[in-house]
Amino acid sequence: MRPIIILTIVGLISASLLALVDDITRDPIAKAKELMERRAIEEVFPFPLDSLRTVTEGETSFFEACDNEGRLKGIAVKTSTEKGYSGKIEIILAVQPDHTIIDYKVIYTNETPGLGDKISKPKFREQFKGKSLEGPIWKVNKDGGFVDELTAATISSRAITDAVHRGLEHINQQYPNTAEQ
Amino acid sequence: MNEAINTLTRGFIKENPVTKMLLGLCPVLAVTTTAVNGLGMGLATTFVLIGSNVVISMTSKMIPDTVRIPSFVLIIATFVTIVDMLIKAFSPELNQSLGIFIPLIVVNCMILGRAEAFASRSGVWYSLLDGIGMGIGFTLALLALASIREVLGSGTIFNMPLIGEDGTPLLVFALPPGAFAGLGAIIALMNALEKKRGVN
Repeated sequence: MRPIIILTIVGLISASLLALVDDITRDPIAKAKELMERRAIEEVFPFPLDSLRTVTEGETSFFEACDNEGRLKGIAVKTSTEKGYSGKIEIILAVQPDHTIIDYKVIYTNETPGLGDKISKPKFREQFKGKSLEGPIWKVNKDGGFVDELTAATISSRAITDAVHRGLEHINQQYPNTAEQ
Repeated sequence: MNEAINTLTRGFIKENPVTKMLLGLCPVLAVTTTAVNGLGMGLATTFVLIGSNVVISMTSKMIPDTVRIPSFVLIIATFVTIVDMLIKAFSPELNQSLGIFIPLIVVNCMILGRAEAFASRSGVWYSLLDGIGMGIGFTLALLALASIREVLGSGTIFNMPLIGEDGTPLLVFALPPGAFAGLGAIIALMNALEKKRGVN
């Protein structure tokens, strides 16, 4: 048989096999992704979640945590930055209804293990707690801001500052009024 | 029977793909920051190796020499993509930490090496044994290096802390230079042991 025919047959078999596996795994992949996000949101709020509403505005997803009576207890947003030492960092940022920060959780990062990935450690996250958009300068110490950068990981520290800042801006745009209630 | 046992076990130490043949070192150096990563990468590679070895040994007589390598690459790539999708679906945590290195199993020269040097010239049964043996050898090497690096570089093993929160691990082992140094030490140790056994 001509080589080209053989190669075509091999290609066809491969393609149909992959189509089959893709069909089987598509739903589990989507579910797994959702579950990871959901778990991150649950971890980032310090109280048990009674109800969670997802609001998607353009490319940004907001998560509203409410208590049994439907009162807003906190808002979370998925936000990211491309300024990491190894590219993209994705976080879930949670704030009180008055837009002061509760905590954040890193859900995607390629930062250097042992250096840059310390942005996930409680010790570093602590300093963002209670801060809001107005007031502090959203930069690291070195650039005249309030964020105490990690030793030997200034770029990662800058990136996370950027990600948190963006998250706050998103929330401010989406919920301009909740702060005054 | 002896032949079969030899085919299965020679990949463990005697012809270990990492410490003896020095094949497929890119993932060995890159993902061995934690023991879980090393184990995950080793098992994923083993799955691909077994699959491609079996399929290639079955089809090698039908495939003419002129398109042998492209066909092999296609078969390997198919298995890699299957593994990639399965890991994404059923172990998203592992997918997050191994990231781009799963798709890159395609270009792991150990797999193409086994296809070329063994599977395309041997029967299905022996190719299966070879795939299992080499895969285990690869996994063992990754796990050894990853454990060393995790203990020294992060102060944990399988994510369980070994030192207190304030202890400072030897960071260099979590970084690329530590990978080279660790691998070098393992290869030196293996060579030393072999030499000793040869003398006795």
